Amino acid sequence: MSDIRPIGITKGPGETAHEYLFITPDRGQTAKSGEFVYYAAQVDGQNRRVLGRVTGRQPVRLLPNGFLADPDVPPEGVAALIGYTGHEHELFEITVTVLGYYDGTIGDFINPRLPPRAGTPIFIAESDMLARVLSKRAVGQTGAAHVGSLLSRPAGEVPIAIDLRAVTSTHLAIIASTGSGKSYLAGVLLEELLAPLNRAAVLVVDPHGEYDTLVQMYEREEFSDRDGYRPQVEIIRPADVKVRVSSLTLGDLRYLLPNLSERMHYVLGKAYGIVRSSLGDNWTRANLRIAVRQAEDELSGRSGADEDGQDDDFGTAGALIWRLNSRLEHSAIFNDTQSLPLGKLFHPGQCTVLQLNEVDHREQQVVVATLLRRLLDARMKTSRGEATDTDAAYLPYPTFVLIEEAHNFAPASGDLVSSEILKTILSEGRKFGVSVGLISQRPGRLDADVLSQCMTQFILRIVNPADQARVAESVESVGRDLLSELPALSKGQAIVAGAAVNTPVLCRVRKRITEHGAEDVDAPAQWVAWFEEGRDAERERDRAMPFDGESRRRDDIFKM
Amino acid sequence: MPIAKLVKSNSHTDYVCQVFGPGEVAEPPDPADYAFGTFVRMPIDHGGTDLVGTDLVGIVYDTLLLNPDFGSLGPRLSPTADLAIFSPDYLAEKVTLVGVAAIGALRSSSTPTHGVPPLAAQIDTLVEGMDDDAVRAFHTCPDGTVQLGYAPLLLATGSPLARHLLISIIDRLRDLFPEEDARLAVLRGEMLWQATVQPVGGRTV
Repeated sequence: MSDIRPIGITKGPGETAHEYLFITPDRGQTAKSGEFVYYAAQVDGQNRRVLGRVTGRQPVRLLPNGFLADPDVPPEGVAALIGYTGHEHELFEITVTVLGYYDGTIGDFINPRLPPRAGTPIFIAESDMLARVLSKRAVGQTGAAHVGSLLSRPAGEVPIAIDLRAVTSTHLAIIASTGSGKSYLAGVLLEELLAPLNRAAVLVVDPHGEYDTLVQMYEREEFSDRDGYRPQVEIIRPADVKVRVSSLTLGDLRYLLPNLSERMHYVLGKAYGIVRSSLGDNWTRANLRIAVRQAEDELSGRSGADEDGQDDDFGTAGALIWRLNSRLEHSAIFNDTQSLPLGKLFHPGQCTVLQLNEVDHREQQVVVATLLRRLLDARMKTSRGEATDTDAAYLPYPTFVLIEEAHNFAPASGDLVSSEILKTILSEGRKFGVSVGLISQRPGRLDADVLSQCMTQFILRIVNPADQARVAESVESVGRDLLSELPALSKGQAIVAGAAVNTPVLCRVRKRITEHGAEDVDAPAQWVAWFEEGRDAERERDRAMPFDGESRRRDDIFKM
Repeated sequence: MPIAKLVKSNSHTDYVCQVFGPGEVAEPPDPADYAFGTFVRMPIDHGGTDLVGTDLVGIVYDTLLLNPDFGSLGPRLSPTADLAIFSPDYLAEKVTLVGVAAIGALRSSSTPTHGVPPLAAQIDTLVEGMDDDAVRAFHTCPDGTVQLGYAPLLLATGSPLARHLLISIIDRLRDLFPEEDARLAVLRGEMLWQATVQPVGGRTV
């Protein structure tokens, strides 16, 4: 205990039963918003330190406005003029929300439900005490992810480590405005997941291609272990993303095919039923086309259709097949035989980055939906003993899927194919070791149910009022006092709350070990560099026509 | 040179002094000698050795003209000129009283103190004006800066004239302490606002 001097004296209870007020001159300017303080109390015969978080700060003594009239004259000088020679004219009333005393046996805070008496001295909580009680696990333990340090203390003084066990059973959300560091934080989290102590099986759905730099983990000594462990990072480029059509559900097909009429919906449903009942999970696009013909014929009372048998008219079946062809035949993703093998995507100590940056939006959603469905199915079958080592659906370890731009996969505006499976995983995934982390810059557009089921939250700066309102509505573990900090957070500062920490904390995200891959393009610098490098002259030289007796300038090109 | 004598007190810091009239002293004081905002000193002499040389410092904050004849509208048998011969006591009843607020103490050998003085002055104590040097000495801190530590005391009296009084004091001090003009100007600005604009509806938020 380096400093045991109190910083203030309790004034009395606050507005609510879990708040109290204390008065302090705050000489060291330590009673910052979000700071942790404590008072000593006897609870059940034991000396306890009841921890609380500073949630409000009001000056209670102010100099008259008139004393501030001349910027060149310090107001204290004017106060001294009339005889006020006190050194500290400022006093603050600090509001503290009681967290309680930390009970190591249950690993949580217990609120004594009794505010401190007036006159009780208040102390700033020591850093080593906070390091012990704020995080569920200590840095360096298996299951701990060291994401940063407490914002109100110097960098690195109070490390914040989230409990990965809680994250992988009750899911996670990273919510932030653009440019506030959410991808950077996700990178930190992935580094921790792949660290030798955790060796997670992780898939990152990366619609922007920002996570290439994670491959550096393989080279870095920080991630290697004595047993030869090095994290594997597999980047799956958009061209390599494959979805076998037989893994598509009827809902997926309906979502992929635009503008279906009622009859087309009916025919498609019937055709899907035919291929499923006759071929199970091994049908092809040709099978489906035949089934469409068959379904149409059954519907109209004809018989004997085959794949190439054209009807005399371009009816429902024709229109439906045309749509199926345009979506499934000309796609680089959908095919008859190949799917991304789950065993290749998920492996302990491996991070797979699924890049979808050149994939159509609807296809992205279907890719993610099919993948998540197969993943959950595999984990369910494996945990029930229905899949064995030789099965494609055998996945004998828990998995974590991090989804960037989650609002595109579970939007508030409606149910997509991916919303449904995400909701299923969020509610049932914990039983089978399937967990997800959702990253979104527009929580206002993210499905409220989806967001509210992510029990660990990283919330970075959010300025948009609609997004703030959605966070307040969906994230119950973060108090109003902390939410008011959202617009004031700087880049790389986050509120960490929920199941993976003992109490919500303001956190300074630690520095990444690997490079950040989502840097913005420095357009002005590149424009200037273009001229410095003489690229125009170079191009003009390269494109120069044989001399025809008349010189041509760049401007003349447009006059041809 | 004395300008008045102490005749009454309303409180520990509020004294009433009678200005010397014609015939009472060799050179009766000029009205400028007991004008509003004039600093005066009143020796504290209780016979104690440690009090020798200590003066109570006060400031003229009010003037009252006392005329016992006011309201007697009937004719007088003796003209005023005759009264000076036959009844000089009667003339002495017309007096000028000044209210003096005690604002501190001054002792030549020690630091002046501002605020409520611990000891009161006695009846009939002679009241003298203070020259610029004495006023400067009373307002000088040990570090050489100006002090106005009695200002809260004057404002606390609740007198409607208190702020005007402070403005006149500050104006005099700005002449005596030109190097402290900036600080004094800020305080004057605040007093001026409170004395002039605030009474007619100006607001301080």
